Amino acid sequence: MAAPVPPGAPRSGANARQQPPPPNFNPNYQTNPNSLADNMQNLNLNRPFTMPNSGPRPPPFGQQPPFPQSSVSAGFPVASRSGQPPGMVGRPAVVPSGPPQSTLPANVLPGRPVGSPVSHMPPFGSGLPSASLPSSTGGAVLPSVAFPSSGVPTVSVAPPPAGSLPGSFLSSSPFTGGPAVPMSNALAGPLSNGTPAVGSGALPGPPQFPSAASVSQPPVGPPPSMMSARPPAQASAMHSVLGSSAVSSPITPPLPSASPFSAAPQSRPPPPGSPYGPQAWPMQPQQGFQPPHIPGTAHAQPSRMFGMPQQLPNQAATTISPAMGQPGAPLSGSSKIDPSQIPRPAPSATPIVYETRHGNSANPPPPATSDYIVRDAGNCSPRYVRCTLNQIPCTADLLTTSGMQLSLLVQPMALPHPSEDPIQVVDFGESGPVRCSRCKGYINPFMKFIDQGRKFICNLCGFTDDTPRDYHCNLGPDGRRRDADERPELCKGTVEFVASKEYMVRDPMPSVYFFLIDVSMNAVQTGATAAACSAISQVIADLPEGPRTLVGIATFDSTVHFYNLKRALQQPLMLIIPDIQDVYTPLETDVIVQLSECRQHLELLLENIPTMFQTSTTAESCFGAAIKAAFLAMKCTGGKLLVFQSVLPSVGTGALSSREAEGRTNISASEKEAHKLLQPADKILKTMAIEFAEYQVCVDVFLTTQSYVDIASISVIPRTTGGQVYYYYPFSAVSDPAKLYNDLRWNITRPQGFEAVMRVRCSQGIQVHDYSGNFCRRIPTDIDLPGIDCDKCILVTLKHDDKLQDGSECAFQCALLYTTVYGQRRIRVTNLSLPCTNMLSNLFRSADLDAQFANFLKQAAIEIPTAPLMQVRDQVTNLCINILLSYRKFCATVSSSGQLILPEALKLLPLYTLALIKSTGLRNDGRIDDRSFWFNYVSSLSTPLAVPLVYPRMFAIHNLNSKEGDGSILPSTIPLSSEHVSDDGIYLLENGEDVLIYFGSSVDLNIVQQLFGFTSVDEVPTQFVMQQFDNPLSKKLNDVVNVIRQQRCSYLRSKLCKKGDPSGMLFLSCMVEDKNAGGASYVEFLVHIHRQIQMKMS
Amino acid sequence: MSEMANTDPEGIDAVRMTWNVWPRTKVEASKCVIPLAATIAPIRPHPDIPTLPYAPLRCRTCSAALNAFARVDFTAKIWICPFCYQRNHFPPHYAMISETNLPCELYPQYTTVQYTLYPDPNNPAGAPQLPPVFVFVLDTCMIEEELGFVKSAMKQVIGLLPENALVGFVSFGTQAHVHELGFSDMSKVYVFRGSKEISKEQVLEQLGLGAAGRRPTPGHPKGLQNGYTNTGVNRFLLPASDCEFTLNSLLDELQTDQWSVKAGQRALRCTGVALSVAAGLLGACLPGTGARIVALVGGPCTEGPGTIVSKDLSEPVRSHKDLDKDAAPYFKKAVKFYDSLAKQLVSQGHVLDLFASALDQVGVAEMKVAVERTGGLVVLAESFGHSVFKVSFKRMFEDGEQSLGLCFNGTLEINCSKDIKIQGVIGPCTSLEKKGPNVADTVIGEGNTTSWKMCGLDKSTCLTVLFDLSSTGSNAPGVANPQLYLQFLTSYQDREGKTMLRVTTVTRQWVDSAVSPEELIQGFDQETAAVVMARVTALKMEMEEGFDATRWLDRNLIRLCSKFGDYRKDDPSSFTLNPCFSLFPQFMFNLRRSQFVQVFNNSPDETAYFRMLLNRENITNAAVMIQPSLISYSFNSLPQPALLDVASISANRILLLDSYFSIVIFHGMTIAQWRNMGYQNQPEHQAFAQLLQAPQTDAQIIILERFPVSRLVVCDQHGSQARFLLAKLNPSATYNNANEMAAGSDVIFTDDVSLQIFFEHLQKLAVQS
Repeated sequence: MAAPVPPGAPRSGANARQQPPPPNFNPNYQTNPNSLADNMQNLNLNRPFTMPNSGPRPPPFGQQPPFPQSSVSAGFPVASRSGQPPGMVGRPAVVPSGPPQSTLPANVLPGRPVGSPVSHMPPFGSGLPSASLPSSTGGAVLPSVAFPSSGVPTVSVAPPPAGSLPGSFLSSSPFTGGPAVPMSNALAGPLSNGTPAVGSGALPGPPQFPSAASVSQPPVGPPPSMMSARPPAQASAMHSVLGSSAVSSPITPPLPSASPFSAAPQSRPPPPGSPYGPQAWPMQPQQGFQPPHIPGTAHAQPSRMFGMPQQLPNQAATTISPAMGQPGAPLSGSSKIDPSQIPRPAPSATPIVYETRHGNSANPPPPATSDYIVRDAGNCSPRYVRCTLNQIPCTADLLTTSGMQLSLLVQPMALPHPSEDPIQVVDFGESGPVRCSRCKGYINPFMKFIDQGRKFICNLCGFTDDTPRDYHCNLGPDGRRRDADERPELCKGTVEFVASKEYMVRDPMPSVYFFLIDVSMNAVQTGATAAACSAISQVIADLPEGPRTLVGIATFDSTVHFYNLKRALQQPLMLIIPDIQDVYTPLETDVIVQLSECRQHLELLLENIPTMFQTSTTAESCFGAAIKAAFLAMKCTGGKLLVFQSVLPSVGTGALSSREAEGRTNISASEKEAHKLLQPADKILKTMAIEFAEYQVCVDVFLTTQSYVDIASISVIPRTTGGQVYYYYPFSAVSDPAKLYNDLRWNITRPQGFEAVMRVRCSQGIQVHDYSGNFCRRIPTDIDLPGIDCDKCILVTLKHDDKLQDGSECAFQCALLYTTVYGQRRIRVTNLSLPCTNMLSNLFRSADLDAQFANFLKQAAIEIPTAPLMQVRDQVTNLCINILLSYRKFCATVSSSGQLILPEALKLLPLYTLALIKSTGLRNDGRIDDRSFWFNYVSSLSTPLAVPLVYPRMFAIHNLNSKEGDGSILPSTIPLSSEHVSDDGIYLLENGEDVLIYFGSSVDLNIVQQLFGFTSVDEVPTQFVMQQFDNPLSKKLNDVVNVIRQQRCSYLRSKLCKKGDPSGMLFLSCMVEDKNAGGASYVEFLVHIHRQIQMKMS
Repeated sequence: MSEMANTDPEGIDAVRMTWNVWPRTKVEASKCVIPLAATIAPIRPHPDIPTLPYAPLRCRTCSAALNAFARVDFTAKIWICPFCYQRNHFPPHYAMISETNLPCELYPQYTTVQYTLYPDPNNPAGAPQLPPVFVFVLDTCMIEEELGFVKSAMKQVIGLLPENALVGFVSFGTQAHVHELGFSDMSKVYVFRGSKEISKEQVLEQLGLGAAGRRPTPGHPKGLQNGYTNTGVNRFLLPASDCEFTLNSLLDELQTDQWSVKAGQRALRCTGVALSVAAGLLGACLPGTGARIVALVGGPCTEGPGTIVSKDLSEPVRSHKDLDKDAAPYFKKAVKFYDSLAKQLVSQGHVLDLFASALDQVGVAEMKVAVERTGGLVVLAESFGHSVFKVSFKRMFEDGEQSLGLCFNGTLEINCSKDIKIQGVIGPCTSLEKKGPNVADTVIGEGNTTSWKMCGLDKSTCLTVLFDLSSTGSNAPGVANPQLYLQFLTSYQDREGKTMLRVTTVTRQWVDSAVSPEELIQGFDQETAAVVMARVTALKMEMEEGFDATRWLDRNLIRLCSKFGDYRKDDPSSFTLNPCFSLFPQFMFNLRRSQFVQVFNNSPDETAYFRMLLNRENITNAAVMIQPSLISYSFNSLPQPALLDVASISANRILLLDSYFSIVIFHGMTIAQWRNMGYQNQPEHQAFAQLLQAPQTDAQIIILERFPVSRLVVCDQHGSQARFLLAKLNPSATYNNANEMAAGSDVIFTDDVSLQIFFEHLQKLAVQS
C-alpha cells in the first residue's frame, strides 16, 4: 500500500474511468482497481447474471468493506463476540456473502492480504486441531516438511442467528449508525446510502444475495475491545469515514477473509484466526486509508523473506525410500511405501514478502501458487517472468546433462498483488527511451555505466554506447549512477516507457469491441443467444467511457446480420450479408460507432435479439463468414472481436464438417490418426487469423454449445490473434449464463493492451529458441499480439549459442510495445538477471517447480495435435525420469540403489507428471473437443494455474462446520485419492476452470439439505446454480467458492456429481493418485520411475 | 390519307399496313421498295370489341382461332380455317350454330374479339387471381434534394397502388439493399455487394428463398398462395395495403448512400447488381405472375456488372463518337449483362421499367435491351423534380381514364396465310423462338418465330411486323384465294389479373402488281410507311456496323419515286407523284434530319430513349416524332396547321409545335411584347388572353395523352429556347438566302438543305435512267 498510487485509489467510483488517465498513468493499475472492483461482483456467488448493473461499478468504498475491521475484531478476540448468539457457525468474516470484492481474482484483489496479519501470528502457534482437519490431510503431510499448520482453534464467532439479522445487527454495532442501512440494502435491494461505498455493485446480486447479506450481518458491531486491537487511529477513521460505509460491512466481509488465503492455491492449514484483521485492511486503502503497514515491514517481521525459505532446504533432497528396494523387488512392495510419506503439495504458510534481488544477486522466487508480495529490487516480479532455472547453466552441455529445460514463462501484463508498487511509467519525451544502439535493448538496472557515466555497457550484447547527453549523470563511489535510485528504469526490474512517435505506425487505436452472436436455431433454443445478449448488455456498462470506445454488434446464422446503431431513428437497422462465401461489410461507417452514441440502441437491440430470432428455423451457422465480415468492418481500426458460437460452423467461408463423427465411423483410421482430429481441418481459418492479426483484431470465442463444434479448427483464430476460447459444454441455460457473464466481464475489464508486439532479448550466449502461446508471428524475432491481457502467458524457450561465464549474470529482457485501453502507446520492459553456474547441483537447487511443470504442460500441449497420445505420454514421463536420473546420477550424495531420491525443489514433479498424463488432454477417452479445448487452454495458461489444472484442489465440504476458528475460509485440501473420499462425504474439487461437487452415497441428508436444498441424493441434478440458503453451512460453502473464484480469477463452472452416476465417474477420474484406466496410481508411478532410473543407471 | 388520319385509321383491329394490297411475289414485293409490314397495337381498347366469356375454337392444324373469315358449313357443323384450309368440326357446345345464330366471333364486323380465359379450372369464378407485383429499385447515390423529390414521388405512388398489389423495395448505392418489409421487429435489409455479379440462384439462396418448394408441383400449376408458391416471398413482397406504412417510414429514414465518394470520382452505384437482385427476388414468384421492376436511377452504374463508365470523373460517359470508334470500353460488356438480365426477366415474364433522371447519362443505351425486350416503360428526365418524371411516374400508377392500362405477361402469336413469311417484329417484345412454316429466313428485329413474349404491354403498345413472301410461292396469279389473312392472337393478364385473349384477324387482297399497279398504289399507307422506314432505319443503325442511314433512306426514296412516280426519263420537271405518295418524301426529309438519324446532337442515352419510344408508339404519334405538327394561332383565324417551315414564323402568331418529346409554344415577337406588357390582363384585351391561352390548353391536352409526358417549352421568338422550334423547321430561310425573305420572318442558321432543294435533287435523281 505504500505504493504511491494504491491500486484502488485512483478511481473513485465510476467517473474515475471517464477521466483521461493522467499522463503518467499506468493503465494496468488504473484498470486494475476498476476491474477488480467490478469483477468483484462477477465473482459473487449467485449473482444473478441478469442483473442490470444499475449500480455498475462498485463504489470504491464498496471494495473495502469497512466491515473488515469489525470482522477482524470479531475474528480476534473472542470476547467481542458477546453480542452474538452462540450456536451460529459462521465466522463473522465469512458471513457476509460475497461482496463484490470477494470476487476479485486473487492476484488482483484489493482483497489480497496486504500485510498478512497472519504473519503476526506465529504460524505454528496453534496446531491444527486434528479434529478439524480431515484425518486424511494429516496423513498427507510429509513429515519432513514443516507445515505451518496453524489451526487456530476456531474462534467461533458466533454467527448471528439467522433470524436475528437486522435486529441483531443494529444492536450489535453501536458505532455505526449505518448498520441498519446495510440491512436494508441487503433486504430491499437498493442501497439507501448514496455512497457507492456500499458496494452497491455488490448488492446488485440481490436476488440470491440479499438473503445472504442479511444473514451475514453477523459479527458486526465491533466491540470497543476490538478496536483496541487495531491502532486506534484507524479504528476511528473507519468509523468516522465510513460511517455509512459501515453499512456495507455485512456485505463485504467475506472478501477480506478470502483474500488472505487467496495466495495459497493449495490450501494450507488455516492460519490463525487473525487473518481477518489484516484482510480488512487492504481494502481500506481504497477508501483512502493507508493500509496500516505493508506486511513486509512492520508486521511481517517474523515473516521470512522469501529468499530464505523455511522449508526449502537448500539442496537437501527429499529422499523417499520406497521400500520396494531393488528393481527386482516385487511390486507388491508398493505396499511398503507409506502413502502418507510420499510428496504432496504442501501449502505455503502466509503471504510472503519477496524481494527480487537480495545482496546484489537474484533471489529465487517463491512458488507461483503461493501468496507473495513482490518488492522490485532490480529484477522483475516473477509474476511477469519466471525462469525454469533460477541459475543459468553456463554451457549447453550442462543443461543437457541436467535433463531440464531452460525457458521463460512470460506473462507481461500479469496482475500484481494489490500491495505491490505499481509499475512506474517513464517518459523520455520525443527521443524515446534510451536503448543500446546495437541490440536495441532498453535501458535497465543492469546496464553498467562507466567513464564517469559518459558511456554504458549493454548487459545484453556487451556493446559500449555513449550516454545521451541529457541522460548523463555522474557515478557515485559505488560505481552506480548517483540518480540510479530516483530513476525507475535504473532500479526497477519492470518499468513502462511512454512510446514516442517512432514506435507508432499510426495513431494508437481506439478501443473497439465488436460482439458477434450466433442466432442459429440451436443457439436460440438452448438459450445461448439470450445468455450472450444478456451478458453483453450488462457488460456494456463496464466498457471504458469516452469517445475512444467504439462498439459494434452483429448476429449470424446462415447469413450475417449487422446492425446500424447510429441512427436518429427509433430502431437500429438490421443489415444482412447473405453472401457467406465471400463476405463484405455492409456500411463503410456506422457499423461500429461510439458507445456513447448508441447505448440505447444497443440495449434495445440486445433485448430484442433473442425474441427476434425465436422462430428462426435456420440450423446453419456461418461462423467463418461472420468473423470475416466483422473483421472487415473492424479492419481500419483493429480491436476486440468477441464471438458467441453455439454450433458447428456448417456453411460459408471456413465451414467445418463433423469430423468427430466421421472419425467414429471409420474406427481404424481414427485410432491411428486420432490426433489429426486435433489439428485444424484446413488452412482457411488459419489464413484468416493471420490476416486478422495483421490488422490488430483480437478474437475471443465463447462456445456455448451442446455438441461437437470442432474446437481444433475454431481455436486457430483466437490463438493466432491473442484471444482465447471459452467453452461451455454442455451449455445449460440454467447454470451457464452467470459464468458466461462473469467471463465476458473479466475479459473486458481485466488489464489488457492492444496492437502489441513483444520481443525477448537475452545476454550473449543465450538466445530465444521459440515462442509459444497465443499470438501471431510474422518475423522470427517478434511476436504480434493483437490483444494481450493479464491472464496470457507466453512460453519462451531458450538455447545456448555460446558459453556463459561462471559467476556472471545472464540477463533477459522482455519488451512489450502496446496500446492501452486509453489509447496510449507504451513499452513495458521487464528485466530478469540471473546468475550463471557451472554446478549441476545448483541447477537442481534453483529449479523452479512451477515453471518447470508449466513448461512440461505447454510442451505436451504442443505435441498433442501432432503426435499419437502414447508418444506424448511417454515423452512426458521420460522428461521426468531423465531429470530425476540426472539428479540421482550426479547430485545425490548418499544413495542406496533402493532409494528413489528426488531433488527437493522438484520433489513434486513425479506427482504432477502423473497428473498430467491423466489429464483431459492426454487421456484417450476424452471427447475430441474437450481435448482440443484443453490444449488450447493450456497454451496461454499462466504459471500459477498450471498445477491446479492437472492436480486440482479437493476439499471436504460436508464438515465445514467442524473447522471453526482456524481462521481460514478454505478447508484443508485432501489428496486426490479415492481412499480419502468417503461415502458419507461431500467434496468439492476445483481446477481453476470447473468446480465438481461430489456426493457420496451415504451422505447425511441433513447436510445436503442445508447446502443445496435437496432432500435426497437422488434429487441431485447435474446442472445447478449455487444458492445460498439461510444456514451457516450453506453460507460457508458459498464463501469457500467465492474465495476460490477470487483466487482463480474465474467464475468456475460447477457440476454436481454423485456416486454411481456418470457424473460420479467424472469426479473419480480426477482422483489422479488412484490407479485407473488412465494410468497407474501415484505409488505405482513412483515405483515405475524408480525402476526406470535404476535401469538407466545400471 | 389526311382525312383518314383524323378519324380512326386503325379501326377496330388497330392494324395498319404499309401496303394494304399485297403484291403476289417476292420479286414484286422487293420492287415495291417499302417493305410489307403491319403495325398492331395488340390491346388497344375499342368500344366495338366484344368480350366473350369462353375460349376460342382453334384450328386443329395451325391452331388459328375461329374467326369471321372462316367458312362455315352450318349443316355439317364444320368450319374451314382460312389459313390452312383445314376442316374443323364444331364441338358440341356449338351445336346450336346456324346462319341466324352465330357466335360473336363469326360476325363479319367483329374481326377483333376478346376472350376471357380462366387459366385455373379450379377457379372458374374468375376471382382475382394474380395480384400485380411492383418492386421499386431506388438509387440513393444522389444529392439530398433529388432524393427528397424521388421519395415524395414514391410515397405518392404507393398510395395509388391497388390494395392487393404486392410491393417490394430495393435501394442501392455502392451496395444493393433488399428491404424485408415483412419483418416487423425492426428495419431489416439484405445487403448485396455492388461489385459482384450475382446469379438468380444465388439471389434466391441468399435471400433464403432457396430452390426448394419454389416450383409448383405438377398437379397444381398455380399455388394457392396468391400466385407464388414460396411463402418466403411474403417476407419481401407485401400487399400495398399492409406495407404502406412501413414503406413510408422506411422512405422517411432512407438516407443518401453513406459510402464516401472520393474527390474527383463518381459515386459508386451498382445499378446492375440492384436490378439483378430485384429480378432474382421476383424469380421466387411463380413465373406468370405479372411483376414489374420499377427502377429509379439517378446516375450511371459505376460498380459491378452493368458498369457503363469508370469511377474517375475525368473520364466522361461514352458518346456516339466513342461508340462508333469502339472507344467505349464498358459498353459491350454492359449491354451483354443487361441482355442476360433481359433474358432472365423474359423467362420469368417480368418487366423492367426505367425512370432515369439525371443531367448526365445513366446508361439507358445499355439498359435499353432489358427495358425493350420486357416491354417496360422508360422515362428520361433531367431531374426527379422535373414534371416529366413526376407526372409520368404518377400516371403510370393512376387508374381510370388516363390509365396506361398496364398489362402483364402478354404473348403474341401470328398466323398468316401460306406463302407469307414473318421476318420479325420491331417493338417491345422478345422472340419466343417458335419456329414454323411462316418464319422467314432473313430476320429483322425479334424474329425466327411466330410467337413473341411481351412481359409488359399497355393499351398504346405497338408492334411492327415485317413480312416477306415465299420465294417459291404458289401465289401464281390466278390461283386460289385472292385474299390473304393475318391473325394476331394476344393473350395477357389485365390489371385485375384476369387472363385475356384478343384475336384480330385481318384480310387483304393479293394483287398482281405487274398487272395492276394502280391498285397497289392505292393501297399505300404513307404514314405507316414512313414510320416503318424510320423503325427499320433505327434498327439497322444499331445492328449494322457502318450503316449510312441517310444514304440508305435516300436510295430507297429515289427507288420508290422512280418506280411509282410519273415522269419522263431524265426530265426532272416532268416528275409528279401520285397523291398516295405525295407526303412520303417530306416524311423522309424530316426523318433524315430527325434525332433518329442524326444522332450526334444527342447522347447515346437520349438516342436509345427516342428509339424505344419510336418503336412502341402508335403510327400517329410515331409520325409526329418524325415530322412534328405545327399549329398556328392568330387573331384572324382559328388555329390551323402551319407548314413546318421557318416561313411559318410570324411576329403576330403563336405557334404550337408538337414533336412528341417536347411541345413548344412559340410566341411571335409582337405577341411576346404584348404579353410582357400585360395586355392579357386587361379586360378590353380578352381576345388576346384567349389567344395566349389557346395553345396552352391544347398543349395540356396533348401532354395528358402521352406517356412519357412531353416536355413543355414556352418560348419567344429570338429567345434562347426558341431553338426547340427552329431545329424542327424546314430551313427554307437561312443566312444564305436571308435577303430573299420577307421581313418579320425568321432565319435558321444552318447549312442543312431545305425541303425545296431536297425535292429538286430527288426529282433529278428519280428520273435518271
